[in-house]
Amino acid sequence: MKSAPFDYHRATSVDDAVAVLTASDGEAKVIAGGQSLVPLLSMRMAQPTVLVDLNGLAELRSDRPTVTDGRARFGSMTRHAQLAIQTHHGLAAEMAGWIGHTAIRTRGTLGGSLAHADPNAECPALALACDAALSVQGADGVRTIPAAEFFAGMLQTALADDEILTVIDLAVPRRWGFAELARRHGDFALVLATVTELADGWRVVVGGVEGTPVRLADAEAALSSDASTDEVGRTVEESIVAYDDLHATSRYRRAMAAELVRRAVDQARRTQGEAS
Amino acid sequence: MTTDRVTTDRVTTETKVELSINGRRHVVGVEPRHTLGDVLREQLGLTGTHLGCEHGVCGACTVLVDGEPTRSCLVFAVQMDQTEITTIEGLAAADGTLHPVQEAFSACHGLQCGFCTPGFVLTAVHLLATNPAPDRATIRRELSGNLCRCTGYVGIISAVERAAVERAAVERAAVERAVTNAAAVAASAADEPSSPRH
Amino acid sequence: MVASLDQSTTTAGPIGTSPRRKEDHRLLTGRGRFVSDLQLPRMRHVAFVRSTYAHARIVSIDCNELDPIDHPVFTALSPGFEVGLFAQSALPGYVETEQPPLARGKTRFAGEAIAAVVADDRYQAEDAAEGVVVDYEPLPVTVRAWDEPQHPVHDAALDNVLLARTFSAGDVDAALAAAAVVVRREVVTNRHGGNPMEGRAGVALWEGSARDGHLTFWSGTQIPHLVRNLLAELLELPESNVRVIAPDVGGGFGTKAVLYPEDLALCLMARSLPGTPLKWVEDRAEHLAAATAARDHRYELEAGFDAEGHLVGIRGEAWCNVGAYSVYPWTAGIEALMAGGLLTGPYKVENYRCSVRGVATNTAPSGPYRGVARPATVYAMECLLDSGARALGMDSIDIRRVNLIGPDDVPYRLPTRLIDDTGHYAECLDACIERLGLDELRAEQARRRAEGGKPIGIGLACYNELTGLGRAASAGPRMPFRTGHEACTVRINPDGKVVVLSGVTSQGQGLETTLAQVVAEAVGVNYDDVEVRYGDTDQSLWGFGAFSSRQAVIAGGAANLAAVDVRESALRLAAELYEASPDDLRLENGSFYVAGSPEAVGTLADAARVAYLESNRLPPGFEPGLDATRFYDPVMGAFAAGVQVAAIELDPSTGEITILRWVCVEDAGRVVHPQIVDGQIAGSLAQGIGGAQYEHLVYDDEGNLRTGTLLDYLMPTSAEIPEFEIGHIERPADNPLGVRGVGEGGTLGPAAVLASAVADAVGIDIDQLPLTPERLWLALEDQR
Ligand SMILES: Cc1cc2nc3c(=O)[nH]c(=O)nc-3n(C[C@H](O)[C@H](O)[C@H](O)COP(=O)(O)OP(=O)(O)OC[C@H]3O[C@@H](n4cnc5c(N)ncnc54)[C@H](O)[C@@H]3O)c2cc1C
Ligand code: FES
Ligand code: FES
Repeated sequence: MKSAPFDYHRATSVDDAVAVLTASDGEAKVIAGGQSLVPLLSMRMAQPTVLVDLNGLAELRSDRPTVTDGRARFGSMTRHAQLAIQTHHGLAAEMAGWIGHTAIRTRGTLGGSLAHADPNAECPALALACDAALSVQGADGVRTIPAAEFFAGMLQTALADDEILTVIDLAVPRRWGFAELARRHGDFALVLATVTELADGWRVVVGGVEGTPVRLADAEAALSSDASTDEVGRTVEESIVAYDDLHATSRYRRAMAAELVRRAVDQARRTQGEAS
Repeated sequence: MTTDRVTTDRVTTETKVELSINGRRHVVGVEPRHTLGDVLREQLGLTGTHLGCEHGVCGACTVLVDGEPTRSCLVFAVQMDQTEITTIEGLAAADGTLHPVQEAFSACHGLQCGFCTPGFVLTAVHLLATNPAPDRATIRRELSGNLCRCTGYVGIISAVERAAVERAAVERAAVERAVTNAAAVAASAADEPSSPRH
Repeated sequence: MVASLDQSTTTAGPIGTSPRRKEDHRLLTGRGRFVSDLQLPRMRHVAFVRSTYAHARIVSIDCNELDPIDHPVFTALSPGFEVGLFAQSALPGYVETEQPPLARGKTRFAGEAIAAVVADDRYQAEDAAEGVVVDYEPLPVTVRAWDEPQHPVHDAALDNVLLARTFSAGDVDAALAAAAVVVRREVVTNRHGGNPMEGRAGVALWEGSARDGHLTFWSGTQIPHLVRNLLAELLELPESNVRVIAPDVGGGFGTKAVLYPEDLALCLMARSLPGTPLKWVEDRAEHLAAATAARDHRYELEAGFDAEGHLVGIRGEAWCNVGAYSVYPWTAGIEALMAGGLLTGPYKVENYRCSVRGVATNTAPSGPYRGVARPATVYAMECLLDSGARALGMDSIDIRRVNLIGPDDVPYRLPTRLIDDTGHYAECLDACIERLGLDELRAEQARRRAEGGKPIGIGLACYNELTGLGRAASAGPRMPFRTGHEACTVRINPDGKVVVLSGVTSQGQGLETTLAQVVAEAVGVNYDDVEVRYGDTDQSLWGFGAFSSRQAVIAGGAANLAAVDVRESALRLAAELYEASPDDLRLENGSFYVAGSPEAVGTLADAARVAYLESNRLPPGFEPGLDATRFYDPVMGAFAAGVQVAAIELDPSTGEITILRWVCVEDAGRVVHPQIVDGQIAGSLAQGIGGAQYEHLVYDDEGNLRTGTLLDYLMPTSAEIPEFEIGHIERPADNPLGVRGVGEGGTLGPAAVLASAVADAVGIDIDQLPLTPERLWLALEDQR
């Protein structure tokens, strides 16, 4: 289980990284924490010719996020471990604590997890739940992609080959709830659910049922009309089509989505708001 | 700085990296694809770092990079230039005296085959550095990124618990010693006839 | 620093205490010596090209891209690769088949090694492996042992059945016809495997010419002498020209008690490349795909009970998935014969008929794995008892009690003619129940039933572990060898320190420590003055190695015999040297004492010096030297009783199970090193729980392994494994040390315990493993 050969480029700036990506014609890959990419390299499921390392880029790190107008901005190289201990975004801290294990969280990054776009991962659901605005930089300059348009499918995003995710701008929910079901401590979720109250109302997001995290409009509507927790749960079960895989059937995923949403709703309704 | 080498179909370059390992500086030539784990084992002869899965799950390869537990199978040595690395070989004293965590693993039978042990010990060292008095449930959670197939974990959890308790005792003793010393110094200072300093 | 064990320079470490393990210091400081750590001059590295099809003809293998000097490639057509592994058994109903070192003509499972390439390091070996192109012609695939065979896996067995046997005693049909109730259960168990944290690894070095060479094979094997024996035969070398060395090994659990085709291939390659050490270190993907696994079984069983709950008969059938090959040397019968032979466990029943089959399929071979078949049979058997209890309206504990073999029944002849010599099951059960505090838990269970709350269930399993099988007890599979004995040499060096050369091996079980304790006590020296060496066929005379919980009983027995001999020689010599009667002398802590005097008259070191260096002082008739080599064979085996009881809590909304308590009481006989014994039990319990709830090697219908990494093959972590409460009843076994094996018992209970706890909690029968939250949730949904 050893990688195929590649060249290594330690990026000196985002511009420099983009330049290398652009020059490589889609054959280069960015490495952030490497916690998802390196296993793929070692199994030779990915064989880029060049690895562009973002780890030296202070501009992408944020030991402390900037918080303005009820939104928190994180650099894409924010490690899961940092996200878990920061106090500006409670839901992000909670969800980051569920990612893998200490040694994974010390390296893995918020940006890497979003770019990897695993439907069972915490960060993509977090992004959708908090109406993330994702800044990306490529050969054509900088653009901002809303989370709702960023995730294109299982392990697929709207990022072009030459684009780098630089900043993740998350709304800080007034109230939130989060629940996850995994087979073992630290595993990717079988199913996870978030319930967030943002300035424009409630969001209900579940991960692990489709190729991307999904927002559930019916559940959101039910929640906004003060429906009971059970009623919200029922709409969840009716509104999703979950996939079957090795780890769970569609039926179980749907039922668990409903159960986890119920738990998250209860938690959100119990808590006090944290942003104003 | 770099030399070319022909593999089957691609040309890869070798890069020099400087690593400080267990306090000693090493400059090694590595291919970009060489993981830190492989470089430690194959090039530096530090075979105490074990590879149990090479895809980030088992934790056997865990080392401390700048004090943080890191899967050495999931980072490339080229990325580690100018870092400080602690491997299992760096814990015991030069005369072989075990580090308190190692000692506790032995006392509590926290190892059988010993293959997972280096990763567990280093993870535990880091845990106790960040959380000096974890309870068993916390230890179980915090060590869950490391797999052991032999022990059923009981001895490992007990070892970490014991190391924490003993560390606390050592620290208490040190504080008490310091307090006693300070008191003694103060007392003897009071006894001494004051000598004009200026 | 705080010392935790006795840190004085000498430790007595007598039997029954837990001195510091001899292996700990090197393993804790990163100074272990594992095969993968080995670096030798001129060493090159090997990667295997593995089949991507579960069943296919190999049309061609193209390696023209590779330079034959830089990257030699080996296939079944390479010179010398005509040989193969034939696991043999004289049992009627056994079909002998061949396992080639590299797939020959066709591949029989996805992951089978088809070719091997050599390079300067493993990275380049994997690069080169990508340059080998195999052209396949797919064949129909059979994945499950109980499915209609699609296309024979081996031409010798058109129905894929490599072993069939019916165990039978009494008149089961009449017994069931007359029974008060008859219950029927069909259960399916999940394939999982040892997955030691260190995978397989080997380094082969051939020195000398191809015909008259010397082979050294470093291997993580549990069975070095057997490996030497077969390699010598296949490579046509005198056995003395083959040396097999198993240094530190990172766990085995049976997975490494196999001679694998990769091992043979590596040695054949070494013969073609004399002077070049060839190293192969298996990676985890290879391990999951190609190392042996186990327990892919199905049982269809009926049990009859009389009105008081006594078992009157058991009748049924079992299918065990052998995988693509008959595992060397244990044969395709390893699981099926154990399943049929020990199904009835510690329960009395006279009428029994069970037909077992070992069936070949297009999946990785199955082989020995801790507990061999019994984690499945104990589960099946306890399911029958739970169903019986429900049918009779009896308490699930009571029904076990009335059927357990008791001390008054022993020696009890099982319906399969094995003799149970223990009968201490009820004692273990009582100890478990007392420890658990059953009444309190029952009260809490009732309270929750009445008032709501997560249901609680109490489950149990009783089992017997057949340990330390002597020549009579190891006769079952009728292989061309009997694994009943083990040799041990105990040697006093000229300085009075003791070296033990044992034929056994250790993969973490602490044999270096345990054997040192046995020998220290038997000779009369300190534990610290004994050094144990094993795992090197050039050092020990003979040994079968580590499997079937035999090391403490048989290797311990041999060490004890040799040590006693040496002590006697030393005492005879000392008697002459110190002019005392041998009967008045004793040897303790390395010194000789005469009865009635507290002062030592001399030391073992003095006597040893005379024995080796001062033959002028040797009394007439004494040969120089002080050592002894003895074999030990217990002839029969020692059954070890065990019971596990657990309390669980279910979350009906997700199907998740929380283990509240887990109590295990076993009879380990006389305990040599209590810490090590408890460690063995805890480790095997954890593996049992892993197999029951998490671990599953899943194949799709095309025979592709879908759990090919540790992200999908789930081994339990410290967060899933509960605290264990381990107890002992120490009933010395009928062997010189009084010990029983303890390595496997823990794995036998968990599946049964958890299934019975679920049945107790919510009345649901679990008929399929692993017991995942989803499976339980679906069953609860059906019930709702
Ligand atoms: C044992 C184990 C357990 C884990 N458990 C979990 C878990 O429970 N939940 C979970 O969510 N994750 C889990 N992970 C994955 C972990 O969170 C990863 O860190 C994360 O998914 C990827 O982040 P990374 O920084 O490591 O990215 P990398 O692995 O470096 O990169 C991942 C992908 O994103 C691309 N990429 C990275 N950064 C950028 C960027 N800034 N711009 C554009 N593209 C980029 C890379 O090119 C690559 O394709 C686990 C991993 C392991 C090994
Ligand atoms: S070898 Fe690195 S985590 Fe397993
Ligand atoms: S001691 Fe063997 S894997 Fe942990």
